Amino acid sequence: MSRALTRREFVRRASALGLSLPAMAALLEACRREEHDPVLDDPERELGPIERELAIYIWSDYVAPDTIPNFAREFGVKVTMDFYDSNEEMLAKLQAGARGYDIVVPSTYIVEVLVATGLALPIHRRYLTNWRNLSPVFVDRGFDPGNRYTVPWLWGVTGVAYRRDKIPDPPPSWKIFLDPRYRGKMTQMDDGRDVLGAWLRYHGHSLNSTNRAELEVAERDAIAAKKNLKAYISAPVKGQLISGDVWVAQLWNGDAEQARMEQPELGYVVPKEGSTIWLDSLVMPRGAPHPRAAHEFMNYVLRPDVEAAISTATGYGTPNHEAIKLIEHPVPYPTGEDLARLEYQRDLGRDTATWDQLWTEIKSA
Amino acid sequence: MLWLVVFFLIPLLIMFAYSVMPRGEYGGVERGFTLESYQRFFVPIYLTILIRTFLVSIACTAICLVLGYPVAYAIARSGRWKNLLLFLVVLPFWTSFLVRTFAMIFLMRDTGLINTWLLELGLISKPLTILYTPFSVMAGLVYGFLPFMILPIYASLEKLDNSLLEAAEVLGARPAARFRQVTLPLSLPGVVAGCLLVFIPALGSFLTPDLLGGAKELMIGNLVQNQFASARNWPFGSAASFILMALVLAAVMIYLRMRDAAPAAR
Amino acid sequence: MGRPLPRWLIAVVVAVYAFLHLPILVLVVFSFNASKFSVEWTGFTLEWYRRLLERDDVLHGLRVSLVVGVAATVISTLLGTLIALGIARHRFRGRRVLEALIYVPIVTPEIVTGISLLILYVLIGFPLGLATVTIAHVAFCISFVVVVVLARIEGMDRSLEEASLILGADEITTFWKVTVPQLWPGILSGALLAFTMSFDDFVITSFVAGPGSSTLPLVVYSMVRRNIEPSINAISTLILVATTVLIYAADRFGRERAQ
Repeated sequence: MSRALTRREFVRRASALGLSLPAMAALLEACRREEHDPVLDDPERELGPIERELAIYIWSDYVAPDTIPNFAREFGVKVTMDFYDSNEEMLAKLQAGARGYDIVVPSTYIVEVLVATGLALPIHRRYLTNWRNLSPVFVDRGFDPGNRYTVPWLWGVTGVAYRRDKIPDPPPSWKIFLDPRYRGKMTQMDDGRDVLGAWLRYHGHSLNSTNRAELEVAERDAIAAKKNLKAYISAPVKGQLISGDVWVAQLWNGDAEQARMEQPELGYVVPKEGSTIWLDSLVMPRGAPHPRAAHEFMNYVLRPDVEAAISTATGYGTPNHEAIKLIEHPVPYPTGEDLARLEYQRDLGRDTATWDQLWTEIKSA
Repeated sequence: MLWLVVFFLIPLLIMFAYSVMPRGEYGGVERGFTLESYQRFFVPIYLTILIRTFLVSIACTAICLVLGYPVAYAIARSGRWKNLLLFLVVLPFWTSFLVRTFAMIFLMRDTGLINTWLLELGLISKPLTILYTPFSVMAGLVYGFLPFMILPIYASLEKLDNSLLEAAEVLGARPAARFRQVTLPLSLPGVVAGCLLVFIPALGSFLTPDLLGGAKELMIGNLVQNQFASARNWPFGSAASFILMALVLAAVMIYLRMRDAAPAAR
Repeated sequence: MGRPLPRWLIAVVVAVYAFLHLPILVLVVFSFNASKFSVEWTGFTLEWYRRLLERDDVLHGLRVSLVVGVAATVISTLLGTLIALGIARHRFRGRRVLEALIYVPIVTPEIVTGISLLILYVLIGFPLGLATVTIAHVAFCISFVVVVVLARIEGMDRSLEEASLILGADEITTFWKVTVPQLWPGILSGALLAFTMSFDDFVITSFVAGPGSSTLPLVVYSMVRRNIEPSINAISTLILVATTVLIYAADRFGRERAQ
């Protein structure tokens, strides 16, 4: 089992390996870019007959309990579902070369990254006969003009959830997080884009800003607010809102709605300075082994009844205006006035590093 | 042997290659060579994170040692209950980490069980802030790493022969001396193994500080995690990892050299 | 056997066990609580267990975790023990380097291990699935097994083995009848650690699992990010009960065979 390995031999082999590395890495890069598929990359081409299987990679609890079983039964497809708990994890995995998923569900700006790195395949629109059910409010957004790669799935906003019984008036502004009266009872989301984004909006700037001066002002406020925060915590803060440990929390509207069902004393506002609106979409990633099944699934969820069930189960808004008619208490579409102060997050490209530096500084403060 | 090389070494070398390549615009890397990721690390903010991580891990290891040694000792001396006690040490860890951590949050939060009991017993008048403090983070870390201390020490101590101890007693040694001269040397390999198996992984923890510390501070594990996730700066994440690993491996090599130099007195 | 343990020692030990099991007790008890989030007891219910049965994803994840866990534990314990013996018993050049290399998986941040293994798999064209997860688990479990077994070997008395060989037993018999029993507490400890780590691993597994090979932690983590429900307590309670039953059965079976 153990051969004698002289030191010289070892060093020789190690150096050979070390020198071959950059070559290997370059080869790796080269291999990736050439994954061109003549059928899948051309949205006009026909796909074959429906396959027997479908692999979905998605956030947990992002469909209604019967969505998948019903689809599987109707189309005779075996569906496997795998879960990620952050966009970036899904992105990193695809960038590192993982293939085999037919559908992923990225948020707004992640779509831009997937498209730019060639990881998204165009949609063959001919198979999406239910496309017209989608509302123009959510179609053809900046991150994917013409919806070449995406099928809108669910949308939401980031706002502030608060305990009506502990806070006298609904907090109108992001300023609440600077209010020392509620020190130790407030949380912001554990996400640099959401935290800095909020403070950028507070000063009237875009939450996609790459302007150094604007960012530094936002950073100062974020650090000042940090003193009042109990923690940086995202969706799991629901439990503490319900129990009363937390009185004010930056949170997505769907989560706030789910919490409100357990705790009627919860209110929700979008601060007047504005906030994030986001749209999650279905995307077919490169290397999808079952493209036809993927398209049938996408078309299936565009049906009003299916989409209505999903929206009700998850608490998030549906971009499907036919589905809205079937929901009892639908999340209302943002009005023109709302939309003026809501922004989609865009990818920051090279400036991602700057934002990360600031977030590290905030966390270290 | 070949297996070891392929699955240990090559992934590592891949990451090393990444750490000296420039950052890709959308994540990943581009062709080229640069040391900027390493250079970037040597500023106060990142060095502070590194130092803090080391201090926290050392504290965690020390606490685990103090709490874990008696348990390992007791198990080794417990005769027919050995297997049961051993099993009871690991059983909690066959539930999911996240579920356990949420149970701890449930216990420690302002309206949690501990505060509720203390209030009901009249021992306090306002809830204590237990959660999202350095205490809760340390509690979570120690909790997670105790078996890694207990099991190796137990494995060493298990051959503790009572006749040795009796002989020492007959020869007039008092309990403290018996411990020092007989038990402790016997358990030393296990103690060292336990310390290494706690200290080293503790350096990389990121979930516990986030969940139980309120994500208000960064340990190096959080930093590396962020670089691969939201910052999409793989080279910097790799570089930070390598700096950490180089430090630890250097320490391990020094320890190994010292251990082999000192003749084993058995 | 021998003198009783001092009282303060027993107190410390009981306290540590209590510390270890308190959160577990909490999650078991509250898996039956009718309320979702409150610390108050609002009523006994089996609702969360019922919901579990509806969740294919959880049951499938559990199955995958068990398969991978057992496989990874067996392989890493076997290989790890052999490697530990090799390191301890044979002096060869590069031995110290090999020993230091063993620590590499322990010191590497999990996300680095996860991504680099994924890149490796892609490079050699290995499709993601149960095999890739198992291999990844073995890779980091081996190190823990080696470290624990090495610690055990270090204190071991070679005279028994030498005696056995002198008395005419061949190497294989000596190995099985003398070495392994002596090493057994180390091997067992290593195996327990390996299974624990494999069963609970999240970060590395999330990168190397393929479609359909999500382990239980992957399912649970994603669930918890969105919806903290006592169902997750229910799963954990069931796992606790199942493992206790299994271990008890294995123990009884082992004892009967010994007789």
